Amino acid sequence: MASQNNSLGYMVIEGEGGQLRGIALITDARGIPVDFRYTDLIRPKKLERILYGDSWNTYFKEEIILESILEAVEAPSLWICNDSEILSPLRTLSKVKTVLLDESPHVPLDAAGTIENTADPGVFLIQADRNGAPLMAEFPEGTRTDEIQQTASLLTKNAETMSLLEPFGRIQRLMSALASGAE
Amino acid sequence: MFTSAREFLARKLTGHVQVHTLDEAFITELVPVHTVRRSVETHTVRPEFTVSVRTIELGAKRKCRVNGFKLKDKTVRTNGFRPKRYTKHDVKVHGLPKRRKINVWSGLKKIQSLPVELENKLKFLKDKPAVSKNEVILAYYSPIVDSAVIKLALDKRRGTLLVWYNPGSRQYKARSVFLIRRLGLGEKPEWRWV
Repeated sequence: MASQNNSLGYMVIEGEGGQLRGIALITDARGIPVDFRYTDLIRPKKLERILYGDSWNTYFKEEIILESILEAVEAPSLWICNDSEILSPLRTLSKVKTVLLDESPHVPLDAAGTIENTADPGVFLIQADRNGAPLMAEFPEGTRTDEIQQTASLLTKNAETMSLLEPFGRIQRLMSALASGAE
Repeated sequence: MFTSAREFLARKLTGHVQVHTLDEAFITELVPVHTVRRSVETHTVRPEFTVSVRTIELGAKRKCRVNGFKLKDKTVRTNGFRPKRYTKHDVKVHGLPKRRKINVWSGLKKIQSLPVELENKLKFLKDKPAVSKNEVILAYYSPIVDSAVIKLALDKRRGTLLVWYNPGSRQYKARSVFLIRRLGLGEKPEWRWV
C-alpha cells in the first residue's frame, strides 16, 4: 500500500503566442493535491530577446519559470514532467529524482513493476499499473540504474492508489478554466 | 672562580687546571634559535576591474562608476584595451539585468475542487469477475480510495468516472469498481466494488 510520503510533483510549462507559463502540482499518493502553483503568462522583453536570441525559450523555461516555481514549492519524492526540454534542467535544479512520463501503445508487460528497455537510450517501459498499458519513461542523461529502479518502484507503489498520468489532465482543465475567467 | 680548595691549590702549586667533560644533559639540551626574518605576503590594494561597454563616445575629461563606485580612468579597459579618448559626460556602466521576477500564485483550493477523472480500464483487465447470464460489465475503474471519496459521478459522454476526494482523509486503501448492467426492462446499472 502506498504511503502519504510518496508525493509526486507534476511540472508543466505551457505556452501560446510567444508566452509561457509554469505550473506545478504536488499530489499525495492518492492523487489528492497538497500544493499547486502557477505563474503568470510571461513574454520576453525586447532586451531579453536581444540578449538571448533564439535561446530565450530555454532561458525562460529554465532560469525564470523553473527556478521560480521550485523556490515556491516543497520538493516531492519524484518530479514528473511531460516536456523533454525541461527534464534535465528540472533534475539539476530540484536535485530530486525526475522522469518524463507518457502513454505508450505497447501491450501490458508481464507484471507490475516490470522495466523494459527500448531502442532509445534513457527511455524505458515501466509497467506501473497492472491493469493498463506500460508507461513510457524517459530519464535525464546520466541517471543511474539504481535511481531508475527506485523510480519504477515508487511509480508502481503509487499506481496502486492513483492514476499516474491523470493529474496532467486535471492541470489542463484548471488552467483552461482560469484562462476563460471561470473559477 | 674556583670550584674547590683542591682545584685552587692544584692551580697555584702545579699550574694544572682540572678539565671537566660537559654534562651530557647539557649537551643534549636544545637551544631554540629564533630568526628575526619575517616572510612578507604582498597583496594588491587595487583590484582589477574589467569594464565592457558597447561604445565609448569621444571627448575629454571622464569619470566612470560601477554601482556607484568610482573607478580610476586608468583601470578602465574596453575589450581588454585602455581607451585613449573618452566622453565629455560621465559614463555609467550598467550590469546585465538580474533574473526577472515573476509572480507564482497558489491555486490549491481551486484544484482541490476538481475531481480526479478515471478512465475505463475494462479493455486492460485480464481477470474479469464472474457475472450472471443477464449481467454485462460496462466499465471498470481503478484505483479508488473509496473510504476517502466524497462523491462519484459518471461522465456518460466521455465514459469516465469523476471522483471527488476528501483532502483531509487519512485513508489510503484502494479498491476497484465495476459498472454492471442487468439486462431486462426497468433494470438499472449497478456499481459493484471489489
